Amino acid sequence: MDAASLYKSLDEPDKADHLWRYTPWKRVHPSGDLSEIPSTAAPKLTLSCLDENVALIGISIEEGIVGAEVLPESDEVTSSFIRAAAGDSVYTLRAENNFVASSPIVLDIDTGDSPCAIHLALDIGRHCEFELITQISGAAPWTGVLRSGRIGDGSILNDVVIGHTDSGTLLRVDSIAIGRDAQVKAGTVSSGSERTKADLRYKMGETGGHLNVLGSILSASKMHLDHHVEIHHDAPETFSRLDWHSACGGNSRTVGTGMLRVAKGARGADAGQLFHNLLLSEKAEADSIPELEVSEHDVVGCGHGTANGPVDDDQMFYLESRGYDTSEARDALIAAFLNSTLIEMGSDTLHHWLTEHLQDELNDLKS
Amino acid sequence: MAAKEARDAVGEYKAGWHDPENATIRFDFGLSEQVVRDISAIKNEPEWMTEIRVKAYHHFENRPMPTWGNMSMLKNIDFDKICYFLRSGEGTEDDWDDVPEDIRNTFDKLGIPEAEQKWLSGVTAQYESEAVYHSIREDLEQQGVIFLDMDSGLREYPEIVKKWFCSVVPYQDNKFSALNTAVWSGGSFIYVPKGVHVEMPVQAYFRINAKNMGQFERTLIIADEGSSIHYVEGCTAPTYSTDSLHSAVVELIALPGSHIRYSTVQNWSTNVYNLVTKRGIAHKNAKIEWVDGNIGSRLTMKYPAVILKGEGSHAEVISVAYSGKGQHQDAGAKIHHLASNTTSKILSKSISKDGGRGSYRGLVSVSPKAENCKLNVVCDALILDENSRSDTYPTMEVANPTARCEHEASVSKVSDEQLFYLMSRGHAEEEALAMIVNGFFEPFTRELPMEYAVELNKLMALEMEGSIG
Repeated sequence: MDAASLYKSLDEPDKADHLWRYTPWKRVHPSGDLSEIPSTAAPKLTLSCLDENVALIGISIEEGIVGAEVLPESDEVTSSFIRAAAGDSVYTLRAENNFVASSPIVLDIDTGDSPCAIHLALDIGRHCEFELITQISGAAPWTGVLRSGRIGDGSILNDVVIGHTDSGTLLRVDSIAIGRDAQVKAGTVSSGSERTKADLRYKMGETGGHLNVLGSILSASKMHLDHHVEIHHDAPETFSRLDWHSACGGNSRTVGTGMLRVAKGARGADAGQLFHNLLLSEKAEADSIPELEVSEHDVVGCGHGTANGPVDDDQMFYLESRGYDTSEARDALIAAFLNSTLIEMGSDTLHHWLTEHLQDELNDLKS
Repeated sequence: MAAKEARDAVGEYKAGWHDPENATIRFDFGLSEQVVRDISAIKNEPEWMTEIRVKAYHHFENRPMPTWGNMSMLKNIDFDKICYFLRSGEGTEDDWDDVPEDIRNTFDKLGIPEAEQKWLSGVTAQYESEAVYHSIREDLEQQGVIFLDMDSGLREYPEIVKKWFCSVVPYQDNKFSALNTAVWSGGSFIYVPKGVHVEMPVQAYFRINAKNMGQFERTLIIADEGSSIHYVEGCTAPTYSTDSLHSAVVELIALPGSHIRYSTVQNWSTNVYNLVTKRGIAHKNAKIEWVDGNIGSRLTMKYPAVILKGEGSHAEVISVAYSGKGQHQDAGAKIHHLASNTTSKILSKSISKDGGRGSYRGLVSVSPKAENCKLNVVCDALILDENSRSDTYPTMEVANPTARCEHEASVSKVSDEQLFYLMSRGHAEEEALAMIVNGFFEPFTRELPMEYAVELNKLMALEMEGSIG
C-alpha cells in the first residue's frame, strides 16, 4: 500500500493515546481537514562541513531511498502522512563504512516560505565516527520532516537536530535503528516554530547499542512545543539515557512525553529518562509523561524522573551577591539550565556552535 | 515470616470458599432502566435518588468503554451476565447473633467480630448487595458521629446525603462511576462532627458470595471542621470460574482542618474485576490519605484521587500492588493542586510475578492560581521472573511557575546481594525473598493498623511461595 492510501485508511488518533493527548493530530495537520494530503514544496538541502577546509568525501546526499527502506518504529499516521506529502522529496544521507570527520557535518534544510515536506533516509555505514548537525530553518507555514534509517554497527555518531523555523508548524518524525555496539548521541535543540510536534523513536534491536537522547528546549511567547521520545530496548545489553531540559516562558507550553519499552529477552538493559522543566512565567505550562513498560526482569535498572520548578532563589541570591543584576542572574541560570544538556551533545566544537546559536534565542526571549 | 508458616496460617487464597446462596431477593442477570428503578423501589428511596440513578444508567449505556488500560481484559466483561442486586438477609442487624448463621460463620472465618472487639470503633459488614451487620461504639454515637450503612444513611439523613452525593464523583465522571450511581447498594455513610477525633479505626468489610455477582457499594465520608477519622476496608470473594464485578464509588469530603485516612486491603479472588472510583476533596488545611493495598482481583483499575481545593491542604497516597498469574493491577493516584501552599506525596510500590502485570498510572496537576505547591511522586517496582511485566504511566501538568514537583520511578529485580546476605545468615532462599518483599512493602504496611499489617505480610509470604526454582 502506498503512503497516501495507508494514511487515508487510518482512523483519527485517539486522545487517550498520550502521543496525542496535548497536541491532537488536527492541530498539527496543515489544514485541519484530516482527509486532505496537501501538495508541498521540496526544501532546499545543503550539506557542508563546519570547517570549510574539510572536504566532504565519504558522505553525500542522494535523491531517493538508497537501498532498503528502514522504518523501525513509528506512528503510522504521522510517518505515512509525511511520506505522502513529501512525494518525490525523498533523499538519503549516506555515510560510507569507516567514514570519519574531525569537524561537524552540517545539513541545512531550508523550508522556504510555502508548506514543505521531506523524507530523509539515514544510511550510516559501519564504524563511522562523526557529528551531524541538521538545521531546519525557513518561513514555511507547515514543515514535515521524516528521518528514518539505521546507524551502522560500531559507529559513533553525535546527531543533533535544530528546529528553528521562523513560525508555523513543524512536524518532525524520527524512526531510527541503532546498530550493534553503535554509540549514538541524539540531540534536539528546539527554539523556533509556533508549534512543534516531534515523535522521536529509537530501536535498540542489536546487542550493545548505546544511546543518549538529549533535549534543550526553549519556548517563549505563544509557542507550543511537544516532544515525544520512545526508546525500545529489544536486544540484550543495551543502554539508553534520556535527559530533557525545557525552559518555558511567556504564554508558551512545553510537553515532554517519553516511553521506555524493555522487551522480554532484553537482558541487561539499562535505561533511564529524566525530564526537567523550568517555568519562567506565570502563564507558561510544562507537562511531562515519562512512561516505562518493562517485560524483562533481568535488567540492570530502568527508571525515570521528572522535576519542575522555577528559577532557584538560592542560586539567584548567590549570583546577585556577586554583582549580577537580577536580569543577568536569571539569564545566566536559564542558559546554564539549557547548557547542561547542550554540553553533552558532542564535541567542544559542536558545543561552542550550539551555545552561540542558543544565545541568539535567549536574547529573543528577553525581548 | 517463613513461607511455610504463612501457608499454615492462611492457606491458599484463604477466602476462596463460598456458602450456599440463601437469597431473599435475587434479580435476574442483566441491566435495564427497570432494574435500576426496581432497586430504588425496593429500598423505598426518595424520588431525587431514583432520578439520579436513571440518568446515570443512561449515561452508562451511552458511554463507550475506556480506550486505555487493559482493553483486552475489559472487553471480557459481560454486563448482561451480572446480577445487579441480591439481598441475603432480612436487614441490617446490630448484634452478630441476629445475623443469619451461614453469613455470620463467613464473617467469623474472616475474623471480623474478633477484630471489632479488639481494635475497632465500629463495623459494617456487607454481604452481596447490602449490609448485614452494623455497629458503632456508644461513646462515638454520643459525640454525634454518624456511622451507618449507606442505605440507612439515605433513609435517616436524606438532606446530608443529597447535599454531598455525587459532589466529588459525578456520575458523568466515567463509565463505571455511572454504573455505580445507577445500581449502587450498600457501602458506608459517615459524618464526623466538628472537632471530634475518632481515635480507633472504623471498618467496613465487603464480601461477595454468589456467582456472577456485581457489588456496587457507595461510600460517603464527611469530616467536619477539625475532626479526624480512619476508615479501613477489606474485601474478599469466593473463587469461581465465572466472573464477578466490583465497581465502587467512594467520596470523601474533608472540611477545613480535618483529617481522613482511608485504608484498603483489596483481596478479591482472581475472578473479580475491580473497577473503582475513589476521590476526596480537601478544604483549607485539611488532609486526606489513601493507604491502598491491592493483592487480589483479575483486573484492578483504581486511582485514588484528591482535589486539594483549600489553601494549605495536603494529600498522601501510599499504595502497593501484587500481580500474580493472570492478574493485572492497574493502580495509581491522582492529585489536583487547585489552591496555594498545598502539598502532596505519592508512594507506589508494585511486585509482578508468575506472568502478572503491574501498572502505575498517575496524574498530578498544578493549576495556574496555585502558588507554592510541592509534590513528590515515587514509584518502585520489582519484577520477580521473566514472564512478568511492570509499567509506569505518570503524568505531570504544571501551570504555575512556583510549583516544585518531583517524580521518580524505578523498575528492577531483587538484588542478588540482598539475597546473598540473608542466605549467608541462614535463611533459605524462599524465606529471604519473602523478607525482601515484605521489606519492600514496609512503607505501606507501617501505615496500616497492626492486625492488617500482619495479615498482609502473611499473604505476601504465601504469594512468594514457589518463587524459587
